[in-house]
Amino acid sequence: MADSPIDQLDHFRRDAALSHGELWLRYFELGGMSTGLQLEAYLYGALEPSRHDHDVIAHALNERFVELGGNHPVPYDEDGRAGHRRREDREETDTGRPPAGTV
Amino acid sequence: MSDFSIGASFVDGQVVLALRGEVDVLTAPEFGAFFETMIDRGHRTVMLDLVGLRFMDASGLTVIAHGADRLEVLGGTLTIRTPAALIRQMLDITGFARLVMLGDDESEYGSLGPEQPVGRLSPAGGPSSYPMTKSVRQFTAIHSDDEVIDGALRLAAALARAVVGGADGVSVSLRRRGKLETVAATDQTISTMDATQYDTGEGPCVDASTHGHWFHAESLGEETRWPSFTPRARALGIEAILSSPLLVQNRPVGALNIYARTPGAFTKVAQEVAATFALETSTILNEAETDVTDDHLSIRFLGALRAREVIAQAQGVLMERDGLAEHDAYTALRRLSLENGRPLQERAEHIVDSTRRPDGAHG
Repeated sequence: MADSPIDQLDHFRRDAALSHGELWLRYFELGGMSTGLQLEAYLYGALEPSRHDHDVIAHALNERFVELGGNHPVPYDEDGRAGHRRREDREETDTGRPPAGTV
Repeated sequence: MSDFSIGASFVDGQVVLALRGEVDVLTAPEFGAFFETMIDRGHRTVMLDLVGLRFMDASGLTVIAHGADRLEVLGGTLTIRTPAALIRQMLDITGFARLVMLGDDESEYGSLGPEQPVGRLSPAGGPSSYPMTKSVRQFTAIHSDDEVIDGALRLAAALARAVVGGADGVSVSLRRRGKLETVAATDQTISTMDATQYDTGEGPCVDASTHGHWFHAESLGEETRWPSFTPRARALGIEAILSSPLLVQNRPVGALNIYARTPGAFTKVAQEVAATFALETSTILNEAETDVTDDHLSIRFLGALRAREVIAQAQGVLMERDGLAEHDAYTALRRLSLENGRPLQERAEHIVDSTRRPDGAHG
């Protein structure tokens, strides 16, 4: 499970230096409808978010990476993760995590 | 499709807006327009009757927050009638859930008594034994910066008024610059009640704020602790008061005060809910690292609600203009944000603005 896309979300969160609460607020700002507990469950892979929810979380993280001067390394579900990976191959490691220079 | 309707009736100088069906991003604008129109027409005492509502999401809460803000500025009052289940669902969505625990079985609850130190309320180990209060913690976590609190306290007061059984009014007092002041009150009588206590220097609110204990005046007709204050309270029709201290770093900084016009109005369940509210409000103050001498009016949470509203509006524009389904409209917004390298909220504002300025003056 360690490399499942859902587990990766929490890796991205840590790379983005966001607390769960801060990520929840950003997710909520962007229209997310899940509670903080649900969000944490998504991040840890205990619950599977809908594709839409996944993408709202991904976008919240990507906006944070952009703020930090990076790119947007978190793939979106609705764009098709595989296709996105191909486009982003140059930016991502095998695990899908951002390279050290991204942030 | 969402079904939603709203009707107005006028009772004793109060306008009652009765909502039916579902309030979501599609129907909240209609609700908002109706509510705003009532305020524009000069109505200052508004009751929102949510009893017929099946669902409300955060966009509905945004409308309520805006309306409450406007009414407060205009010296008006807003009250909310709502079934507990709806409140719980709404709170859960908005992250306020941990503020509230509604119980069904009164026998499980302890009683406050006339005065009691904090922390010895529930026979089963205190309010922390309640599952919901342990659950969603994010609300406090978001207040890591110093844009804090009054808005959250106003909302907490409104929610306490809605969910504490027997409550006719709620206020939050905080000590600022060495003086107690009312930060939030659900109506003018309640503000006056607080002010009367500050003036006389006595009353459950003053005592709770000073001693950091709970004070419960079950029936003011039999109350002897506050001889100057009690007759003034009864003259305003208040018969029972429950004041719970707000503690920051274990020091009392204020109180959550709940007033009733009926003696003995507060059941054990109501007392427990009130105590939980006070504890959680204290937690907000603590985790916000609130400088209680400060006077910030805005909170980031309300900013987040407004951001959501703009995004929902932009989604609506794209759905209407480009014939997109809801999630497709969101995806389109997200792609615009990525292509432009700008935050989604900013793109959303741009789209909403473009509908207001068809000549593209601000392009």
